[in-house]
Amino acid sequence: MKFLRPTNIRSRLAIWFVAILSTILLLYISAVFVFQYVLLQRQIFHDEIQDVETVEGLLYFDQHGSLQLEQGYHTHQQSRLLEDRLMEVRDLAGNVLYRTDTLKGATLGGTALPDEGIHSYNERSTTLADGTRVLLISHIHPVQGKPVLIRLGYSMAPLHDRMLYFFFLLLVATPIALVAAGFISYSVSRRALRPLVSMASRAEQITASNLHDRIVVENPDDELGHMGRVLNHLLERLQQAFAQLQRFTADAAHELRTPLASIRSTGELTLQQDRPNASYREAISGMLEETTRLNRTIDGLLLLSKAEAVQCDSEPTSFFLTELVHEILVLLEVLVEERQITVLEEYENAPHEPLVADRSLMRVALLNVLHNAVKFSPDRSVLRIVYGSIEREGHIFHHISIHDSGPGIAPGEHLRVFERFFTSAVHQATAFRGSGLGLSIARLIIDRNGGRINFEENVVNGAKCCIELPISTKKSKTA
Amino acid sequence: MNTTSPISGRILVVEDDRRMADSLVSGLTGYGYQVSLARTGEEAFFLVHSTQPDLVLLDLTLPKRGGLEILAQIRAEQLPTRVLILTSHNSVDDRVTGLNSGADDYLGKPFSFPELLARVASLLRRLPAPPRSASLQIADIHIDTKAHLVSRSGTPIDLTPREYDLLLYLLEHRNQAVSREMLAKDVWRETSRFTPIDNVIDVQMARLRRKIDDPFTTKLLLTLRGVGFILREPEQ
Repeated sequence: MKFLRPTNIRSRLAIWFVAILSTILLLYISAVFVFQYVLLQRQIFHDEIQDVETVEGLLYFDQHGSLQLEQGYHTHQQSRLLEDRLMEVRDLAGNVLYRTDTLKGATLGGTALPDEGIHSYNERSTTLADGTRVLLISHIHPVQGKPVLIRLGYSMAPLHDRMLYFFFLLLVATPIALVAAGFISYSVSRRALRPLVSMASRAEQITASNLHDRIVVENPDDELGHMGRVLNHLLERLQQAFAQLQRFTADAAHELRTPLASIRSTGELTLQQDRPNASYREAISGMLEETTRLNRTIDGLLLLSKAEAVQCDSEPTSFFLTELVHEILVLLEVLVEERQITVLEEYENAPHEPLVADRSLMRVALLNVLHNAVKFSPDRSVLRIVYGSIEREGHIFHHISIHDSGPGIAPGEHLRVFERFFTSAVHQATAFRGSGLGLSIARLIIDRNGGRINFEENVVNGAKCCIELPISTKKSKTA
Repeated sequence: MNTTSPISGRILVVEDDRRMADSLVSGLTGYGYQVSLARTGEEAFFLVHSTQPDLVLLDLTLPKRGGLEILAQIRAEQLPTRVLILTSHNSVDDRVTGLNSGADDYLGKPFSFPELLARVASLLRRLPAPPRSASLQIADIHIDTKAHLVSRSGTPIDLTPREYDLLLYLLEHRNQAVSREMLAKDVWRETSRFTPIDNVIDVQMARLRRKIDDPFTTKLLLTLRGVGFILREPEQ
């Protein structure tokens, strides 16, 4: 059974090929057989008609009144022996007037049919007394003014013999051809699939430590080459993701270690000598502040992993962007008031469609961006929020830009600000120091919702954050 | 240290981490609770029956028997014990699982101790919180909770709704430290843990202090660095 169900593709291909080929051959051979048989039968009838027309001219009554066939036309008398024609001539009363020797005294075709040989040749097949199948025609012809019925036939035996011979020939030749075809298709498919084997053995050797290795592509244009290229792209993305993960782990370890180091050294220094109570209080407060920082970093990391996984299990709701921004502004209102920041909101053909997304995650994203903008805004400055729309590849996107008048983003850092744990080398204001994850989280959430976020580079003063979010055409639950 | 009147209550702490367990026991004992400690699930089963605690602080990740199993057992036996789950698995799913299996409350590690105290106190009150009295007072600050009017030493103080909520919360937790997490959750009603509103809270607190403390000589609203804030009755 195992032999019949081979596991490798080349054997399966060869078997399929042979099976299909033999089915086609079988159908073809049977069709040819039938066609040939009918054709030959037709040919025999045709020959018989030719023959009867020839023969009837050679019939004559001799002086005894018995019917004879003119034999004088044979130049070689031996040629007579070659004749295997069966012929019987009767008068219209049914008496046999002439019978060839080949019939060996048997009657040809039995009693006469009504109107036999008058309107047609009555082509038919019949069986002789000894069982021989015969193709037979009849014809009425006057011999010296006396009409006679001529029956002329040929035995089918030679035809059957030839067909049988032909059949045996095919019976021997077809399997040989099929076996040859099987071998050829096996070796052809093995050759065609050989790159797959080398690709597989190469891919087997690729592990986390040598993700930079690539599969060798022999012919980049064929299907296997395409497969190889796809695999190579997959490897490249994996390699990038892996590198990113490693960098991220290192960064996260660094970010977690820094507050830990601070806690540890504060504790160690404090305990080295006796101090007044206030000093202990101070040390412990500092340590608690660092734990808060640690905690915030961990919460941020968890939120990042949650946002990473959001594609599959989030339950999007439908809500209005402006309404969400207003909710966040109410939350930040106290900061805005305290710093006497003026928030200007402008609408430039903003779409009326709601947004479909995980509202709580989107709120985190926008809160991070708006909070940043407020944080970096100088006192008594203007924060401008513009709602609009933008078309990209035939889809309408919500477009919201948040423009503050703060120190702006240093040249070359417009993309890096979204990196995890990024802190600008230029603005070393520790007062602004956050977890370093806010914008990464914002970008991840916006990306996952099919949007994009970036800081405009050609801004004269402050920073201008542009967010695009798709207007979903999908039906979804309304909040 | 402790200026609140001690609330009597038997608490069973089920926690396998020695340091965490020790600080929970000493912290809660310091606030006048009778605290016993179980380090394994088996011990917890025994102590739940022998000491009949009013409240179990339950760590979900225990050796041998898991916390959820203990919780299920307590609920199956219909013991009148309240259960507060403490765990470092902080996702919403875990929270839902915990609450669905019959826990009364859920607190993610690392939590602030003031928040734990507040939760414990509210769970041990057993009955639903008493209706808010018509007026609340601390030192010379007076709140009319019906009319939402606040005054200090007879001088009316005009507060925004948020400032009013904040003062009310501090007053309900008088002489108790409240952390920024508690404020974010209970006053600002922020559900997500990663919402950077600490400076919103700080600014709001500074404004409140400007209104209720700055014009007066006795300061009541204090910042505990690294912990949070406390509205404290002046020590006479």
